[in-house]
Amino acid sequence: MPVPRRILFISNFSGSQLRFLKYCLLFFTPVVVAFVIMELLVLNLPINYKYYGQQLNSHSQEIELMGLGSSQMKCAFNPDFADVDAINLSSTSQHHKEDFHILKGTRKRLPNLKFLLLEVSFNHLELPHHPDDYWKNSVYLKYYDVNAFNRSIWFKDRLLILSNNRFYSRKLLEHYFFNSSTEKFNSYGFDTNNFYGTFKELDYDTSKINTNNFRIISREDLSIFKKNTDFLYEMLEYAKAENINVILCTLPLYKTYLKKRNPSVVRRRDSVLQMVQKQYSNVILLNRETDTIHFNEKDFLNENHLNPNGAKKFTALLNQKINGFD
Amino acid sequence: MFLPITLVLYWAIGYKRIKAQNALLLVASYLFYGLWDWRFLFLIVASSLVDYIAALAIKGSEEKIKKKLYLYGSILWNLGVLFLFKYFNFFIDEFSLLFNLKDGEYAFTTLNIILPVGLSFYTFQTMSYTIDVYKSRIPPTRNLLNFLCFVSFFPQLVAGPIEKAADLLPQFNTRRKFNAQEVKEGLRQILWGLFKKMVIADNAARIVNMVYASHEEYGSFSLLYASVLFFFQIYGDFSGYSDIAIGTAKLFGFRLNKNFNLPYLAKSVTDFWQRWHITLTRWFTDYVYFPIIQKNLRSGTRRNIAVFITMGLIGLWHGADWTFVVFGAFQGFLIILERTPISQNRKSSLYHRSRIPSLLFPVFSFIFITISCILFRSQNIEEAGIILKRIFLLIPSSEWSSLISKTFLVCAAILLSVEISTRTKNFPLTRIDLYISRPFRWVIYYIFILLIFRYAGPTEDFIYFQF
Repeated sequence: MPVPRRILFISNFSGSQLRFLKYCLLFFTPVVVAFVIMELLVLNLPINYKYYGQQLNSHSQEIELMGLGSSQMKCAFNPDFADVDAINLSSTSQHHKEDFHILKGTRKRLPNLKFLLLEVSFNHLELPHHPDDYWKNSVYLKYYDVNAFNRSIWFKDRLLILSNNRFYSRKLLEHYFFNSSTEKFNSYGFDTNNFYGTFKELDYDTSKINTNNFRIISREDLSIFKKNTDFLYEMLEYAKAENINVILCTLPLYKTYLKKRNPSVVRRRDSVLQMVQKQYSNVILLNRETDTIHFNEKDFLNENHLNPNGAKKFTALLNQKINGFD
Repeated sequence: MFLPITLVLYWAIGYKRIKAQNALLLVASYLFYGLWDWRFLFLIVASSLVDYIAALAIKGSEEKIKKKLYLYGSILWNLGVLFLFKYFNFFIDEFSLLFNLKDGEYAFTTLNIILPVGLSFYTFQTMSYTIDVYKSRIPPTRNLLNFLCFVSFFPQLVAGPIEKAADLLPQFNTRRKFNAQEVKEGLRQILWGLFKKMVIADNAARIVNMVYASHEEYGSFSLLYASVLFFFQIYGDFSGYSDIAIGTAKLFGFRLNKNFNLPYLAKSVTDFWQRWHITLTRWFTDYVYFPIIQKNLRSGTRRNIAVFITMGLIGLWHGADWTFVVFGAFQGFLIILERTPISQNRKSSLYHRSRIPSLLFPVFSFIFITISCILFRSQNIEEAGIILKRIFLLIPSSEWSSLISKTFLVCAAILLSVEISTRTKNFPLTRIDLYISRPFRWVIYYIFILLIFRYAGPTEDFIYFQF
């Protein structure tokens, strides 16, 4: 009896198809190998997230204070100078949506968490949240074990190099080839050598700083404002339910930056902060945005970021606030 | 992994089993489409069935009135679906605004629905099938599987090229024999498409999004620069997608129509639309423009009206907003202007055969493309007005230098020089094996992979997916 031919079978492939498959394997093998090597090199990079993750794992039982926010918070809060055991999980472009994912995702691992330091910069409430496929979600997954994707995890989500190949390839070149990185992280992932910004380039000369051009996003958007404000309330409700005290903070800005803020955006943000403080007994404000007494040009990296000197001062002010917390 | 798995299974089935191959393609296409939102699948199946049945009914009817009835029924369904999902809220909003019915007892309510991905593309494809059957240009197919495949063929389902049934449908009836040369061509075209999308479009998008998000804060030159970059963004994005779609189809043994032909070299607006989204222009020419002028080819007024309506609809096809309506009207106005004789010589027209030196063509194209880009990119007509006003007010742009990205400029230069130097070919890497030996070819491919890997911009959705 003749054997019926199977529908899917390797013998169905013709000679030319098999030759082509071989050709493809030959071509793509170096590409795949290169990807694997780069992924391993990325995992070996000294990067702030890695230190954050290590800190999170090794000190989870002691941590009492967690800082969340964008690069402004990353540069302003050095847990090394905090009076309580602290961690700063802030990072560049991190918005409240990511902050909330991190807070919820790490809450069970941090039984002693008492304080949440949350940044609300002048335009925080009028900047749109990142989409669910934001590249840093892979970073949070890898280092904090936090799923911020709002869906189940796929294999590619676990690959750092694929999440932002441009960022990581630049980091790889800086670290392994040019040795040009100036970053020096302490055990908390804070860059203690973070002085190399615009103000240093301008020799901290105020006349040059006053005429320096910089970028500021001062666009108004009422629909985003409403959405983000609701989201902030949701976060505060969660913190209240979890018995966490929230320190809503605004971070120091240089006077040229302060002048360029959109007054309507600032007014709306401030009114939300006042309302929140009245409504929640577990919320206090640390408003240092316009603090030009404690902070001068030598404390700034650029117009809206502090350098490690400024961070030391800001952390000291934070300590005062925490110690005075009722 | 979706593509390699589908491809290996497809060829493992063997080219003699067309039905099994088509069934696999259908499953893969529906899976691909369902990954966005499985609910959209009901709509695509319903649209396919309506046109499948309508075409058979047209063929089966003897009376012309019945044929017409079936045709109009099908068109009504297609346009109704399009209107409901894409234009309903826009028209309700504008109607409410016009009659001041935004609030109060007689206020209209808008629908809270999302636009299914690629709706405009597959609706036009199915509509053209029924019209062609009605016009007896093609016979209707009785093979439902093949027809469903034709509507949902995944490489071109969500953003074209818009294929006519006469071109694509017969390919599902014939055996697709594995041709290693064609498959390699497909892979090369995908590589070129990825370069355009990930390196050119996504990097341009980074700057464009930044500037357009706070356009009030940027000076004239920055806004002009961002608007020109938007052309690179949308060209890289859409032509890149078309290349990926055409290349992917080649992997499965299908041929799709070319959708772009160096639009930045256009000498006129008419020429531009013969180079940009070619399959859409062809669709509107065949199914809107020609039917309007069919009996009055010589009437200039009728032709101008036809041009204006056609271009207005092309504008509206892109989205439910006044910016797109004005965009279409602007194109129509310029085409009419081009066709208007500037002397007694009837052959003379503004740009086609004018006395304007050819050196000025790029200047004209630049101005026309930039204004079109501003209309296309702006969120609303007010924003477009503000941007145009700020450009013409010559506001200083001290921040311009911060927008310059050397990487992007180098990559854009590579794109333009490679495309222009190989302009007679379908795409730059086509038949590269005829004149470059394998080691050097591989070096070129690896360089492109490296460029994509190293310089890909932040991931942006394909712009035309929203249409």
